[in-house]
Amino acid sequence: MTMSEETLMAYADGELDAATRASVEAAMQDDPEIRQRVARHRALRESLRGAFSAVLDEPVPDRLIQAARGPAGAAKSTVVALSRAREAREPGNPAAPRRWQPAAMAASLLLGLGLGFLAWHGSGGAMIQPDAGGGLIAGAALAEALSTQLSDDRSAARVAVTGLSFRDKAGDYCRTFSLSGSDASAGLACREGADWRIKALAQSPRAAADAGNFRTAGSEDSAAIRAAVEGSIDGEPLDHAGEIAARAAAWASARKR
Amino acid sequence: MSTNDRVENIQEQIVALLPRLRRFARNLVRNPHDADDVVQIAVERALQRLDQWRSDARLDSWLFKILRNAWIDEVRARARRAKILLPEEAGEQIGEASMEREMERWSAEAAFARLPEDQRLAVSLVLVEGLSYKDAAEVLDVPIGTLTSRLARGREALQEMLRLPEGDVS
Repeated sequence: MTMSEETLMAYADGELDAATRASVEAAMQDDPEIRQRVARHRALRESLRGAFSAVLDEPVPDRLIQAARGPAGAAKSTVVALSRAREAREPGNPAAPRRWQPAAMAASLLLGLGLGFLAWHGSGGAMIQPDAGGGLIAGAALAEALSTQLSDDRSAARVAVTGLSFRDKAGDYCRTFSLSGSDASAGLACREGADWRIKALAQSPRAAADAGNFRTAGSEDSAAIRAAVEGSIDGEPLDHAGEIAARAAAWASARKR
Repeated sequence: MSTNDRVENIQEQIVALLPRLRRFARNLVRNPHDADDVVQIAVERALQRLDQWRSDARLDSWLFKILRNAWIDEVRARARRAKILLPEEAGEQIGEASMEREMERWSAEAAFARLPEDQRLAVSLVLVEGLSYKDAAEVLDVPIGTLTSRLARGREALQEMLRLPEGDVS
């Protein structure tokens, strides 16, 4: 069976209707040459995405962020978008103190970095993904690590390093984490309902150098994350037994609802 | 949601798209500084025209289209200025660009930069930015058939330049 290059291309791009897709898949079964042509199309896509992805991890220049926020945006640009999104979700509580202000002040560059991840993982969302309210939550893989992994876990299978666990002033459990490899970054997530909401996210200055080398997060990864922890922690961080107990209780909030 | 909230919400969505706008701009414009300038112009234009954006359309495609048009305007303006003022500067830029290409001859990036612009944009929108054929055709203001033929030619040229390995076919 012969297949036009445009058909195979459209197959690799996910643009075929179900019937044509099935016929391409049948042809791929029978014909190694067609399999190879499809694999080449896919390899090209991967190689191009790889070649152009670096810019996504660069901090976005402030002038662009300010341009996007419009003329009134300049004055607000030091506030991290995550906290703004949070306020937007809590319209009934306009006078609530900005618990995340220290993080916001520590690094307006957080924003660009964090949103870079958002865009990069927008399709897969394994680590960090947007929620309906315009904030960020942990994707499946990160949420799994935050929910199950203890801070002193050093097993090779882990996808994220969990650092410090604590209760915040609202009674929610929060945990710091760090991601390695192309995702290299540190962050703080707090349990809200069934989600781990990302409260702060920053690229470690040494993330690139340490990409293959896991370290304990929380203390040194990022001044911004540290500031976010200090601004929100209630009392002392959890110890090992405290983490086990919190995990057993599914990280349920002590917040009065 | 009030109009004000709606605008702020879109502004934050645009902020979130900035990394991808910068990537697309760098595929369109080789000089990274120029690329950021075009992103800025495009974002400013977008905010002035928020009323033209239909919320059922993809915000990224809409912004890519504004960005591309902003660059076309910029190129035209530069061509006019170059004619009037600095005929030799254009020549220099071509020289630098070809040197760069020579140095990175084997990378995907360099191969991509050698594509004609219409193919480069089709490849960028579909393969790098992940737009559907329909959305990419819309950004470029061409029929879908034109988009797919540019994409096919661009791909063929890239595969020729890169001689990609067969990949895992198992």
